[in-house]
Amino acid sequence: MLRGIFKKLGIGLSALAVATGVAANYKTVNITAKSEEVIKLRICNWEEYIDLGGWDEEELIELDNGISILGEQTMMDDFCDWYYDTYGKRVEIEYSCFGTNEDLYNQLNLGDTYDLVCPSEYMIMKLIAEDRLQPLSEGFFDESNEYNYYINGVSPFIREAFETNEIDGKRWADYAAGFMWGVTGILYNPDEMEASDAADWNVFNNPEYYRRITIKDNVRDSYFGAVGALKRDMLMSDEFVNAPDYRERLAEEMNDVSPETIEAAQNLLQDMKDNVYAFETDSGKADIVSGKIAANYQWSGDAVYAMDLAEEDDVYLEFAVPEECTNLWFDGWVMLKSGIAGDAEKQHAAEAFINFLSMPENAVRNMYYIGYTSVISGGDDDTVYQYLNWCYAAEDEEEDTIEYPVGFFFTGDNADEDYVLVTAEDQGRRQLYAQYPPQEVLNRSAIMQYFDEDASKATNKMWINVRCYNIKDVALSTWLCIAAVICFIFAIVMKIRSGRYRE
Amino acid sequence: MSVFRFSRKQLGIPYALFLMFFVVAPLLVIIYYAFTNGEGRFTLDNLSGFFTDPNTIGTLFYSFALAIVTTAVCLIIAYPIAYVLARSNMRHKSVIVMIFVLPMWINFTLRITALKEILTVIEGNLAFHPFLNSVIGMCYDFLPFMILPMYTTLMKLDGTLLEAANDLGASPLQTFLKVTLPLSVPGIVSGIVMVLLPSMTNYVVLDMLYNSTYIMGSLIGSYFAAYDWHNGSMISLILLLIILIFTLFTNQYEDDTNARGGAIL
Repeated sequence: MLRGIFKKLGIGLSALAVATGVAANYKTVNITAKSEEVIKLRICNWEEYIDLGGWDEEELIELDNGISILGEQTMMDDFCDWYYDTYGKRVEIEYSCFGTNEDLYNQLNLGDTYDLVCPSEYMIMKLIAEDRLQPLSEGFFDESNEYNYYINGVSPFIREAFETNEIDGKRWADYAAGFMWGVTGILYNPDEMEASDAADWNVFNNPEYYRRITIKDNVRDSYFGAVGALKRDMLMSDEFVNAPDYRERLAEEMNDVSPETIEAAQNLLQDMKDNVYAFETDSGKADIVSGKIAANYQWSGDAVYAMDLAEEDDVYLEFAVPEECTNLWFDGWVMLKSGIAGDAEKQHAAEAFINFLSMPENAVRNMYYIGYTSVISGGDDDTVYQYLNWCYAAEDEEEDTIEYPVGFFFTGDNADEDYVLVTAEDQGRRQLYAQYPPQEVLNRSAIMQYFDEDASKATNKMWINVRCYNIKDVALSTWLCIAAVICFIFAIVMKIRSGRYRE
Repeated sequence: MSVFRFSRKQLGIPYALFLMFFVVAPLLVIIYYAFTNGEGRFTLDNLSGFFTDPNTIGTLFYSFALAIVTTAVCLIIAYPIAYVLARSNMRHKSVIVMIFVLPMWINFTLRITALKEILTVIEGNLAFHPFLNSVIGMCYDFLPFMILPMYTTLMKLDGTLLEAANDLGASPLQTFLKVTLPLSVPGIVSGIVMVLLPSMTNYVVLDMLYNSTYIMGSLIGSYFAAYDWHNGSMISLILLLIILIFTLFTNQYEDDTNARGGAIL
């Protein structure tokens, strides 16, 4: 893969940014415009989650349909130019970043105002439930408007997910436009780990990989993995898998927050804590490439990124999706009521920004730059599929090839012969598998719902219990040692004091 | 005379400024959150919750253990260095001291990242010894803070006292135990204060060295990340009180020894 040096730099920088802490990771890019009548758009996005341009010329992506793609300036700059050319108005973007959904939520509560933000699905649900989001306008869904790239280009698979999921009777689709999506799984080094071991949520508790695997440092992902491991036998039983309402029941089981499940998950995670290398957010990618660990819990997009990075060092990593179940997640753009504040011009610009990102060429730019999978399939435009071909199609001399259908994503029909990639055999376990998981993987996926306040409290408490040192774990011998040391110090102090009086 | 002539009081200025802007001012807000619940009503549940939960008490214990071991190791490493530097007749002492302080000028995350690689080479796998690694990381980070105050105190030590002890027949060991050591106590106390308290909460070191166990800092952080500002504030407040008591205690001790030093002179 032809990913540039830029990415290498990026992974280092983002690792550093995470390490330096919560408050420090704040970058602002100001794009100033000269015209006086400017629309000011405040956007807050994940770090390293949009094309920031500056590609080398050799990174030019030349697709078979004649389109060439090169990210020269940032997506935000390109948008401002495009908006001026298309609508004749100047837009100024104030771009900032957040590190976690919780950070974003806290920032909003502390009074930071943004017009457009890009949280994950559960945070979108929370914001919808709290009535903080501005619904997308009717015009945004008008398929006859050629500038409505989102609604004309979004994958039918994603569209269905956004239209069928709701909270308090409000559909996601009315408030949120998808940006990136993916699943969770295990990124592993096939030289050190069996594929069958990696495809099992119990891998974190597998003594064979003692201190050589990392798990995610956040309660939701870890809880999901623990529940999958706990319910493995049930989730994989024929009776369960073949039930007519399998998907609904799977979603229900994976979102189980009953006290018994939470307690069992706590015990399991405590065991896992003593078996894993670390709880990490960002460092796992670098650690698996450098060989410190054999596997790590990973989001599909980061897995692609890590696999690309490892290839440069001649390390060939693979991605496995656990057999029990996987977490299907989305990040999407939503407008905040507090930011838009009824300003129609601003809302228009915000929606245009979503549409601009949904232009097939721009979707490809973002995918190339960040490694995640765009929700855009392109509709009538085949640029995105051509990009897949450009990335993954088998070379002519390749002998070991497989047919890899991705029709479910592009047309909704996985049997569609126009969307079957002929790719190298190992891509069925590597980047392509992570970026566009096959339909049978998505069949065993569940969306992790937003937990209500009581359930959030219970799971957060569980998480703290997992991570804290329990005073009851202190052995009697340790207490005796402490007592001895205290007595010793006390004796010395007394001796010094008595000596002093003698003087 | 050296250009780097700190006194303990001057070393306290940044901390005093820090206290004013980042502790005293937000303190009222913290107190408000600590003693209220989600509905904004007064409650003591957060307080009692802290002392009845074995996990929070365990975290306090673990933080203390880590901080005390770190401080002890720093002291054992730093005192001989400070002593040698202060008592030697080298002409460019200030340069040598600067070399010891130099690590502080390199970005802290870079230093710990480097340390991570070094420890991986030595230990094979970082995750086998989380507590030990944390202590090493903390010492690496805080050692200059221990050396500086002790060096300053030992520099100011009056050489004539040592000569007098020698003249009166004290052996070098006796001179050290009866004169040098007692007179350097203020420096030792400053050093301990500067290492012990931050190392109770500096969870970035633990995160970067993959110690998965929470200390006080990470516990507070996790409560805030979970939008539970009330318990987070209460733990901050309790930690603040512990620090306050500790500071009062050491201040008293320093005054005491200063007075005694004056009496001897």
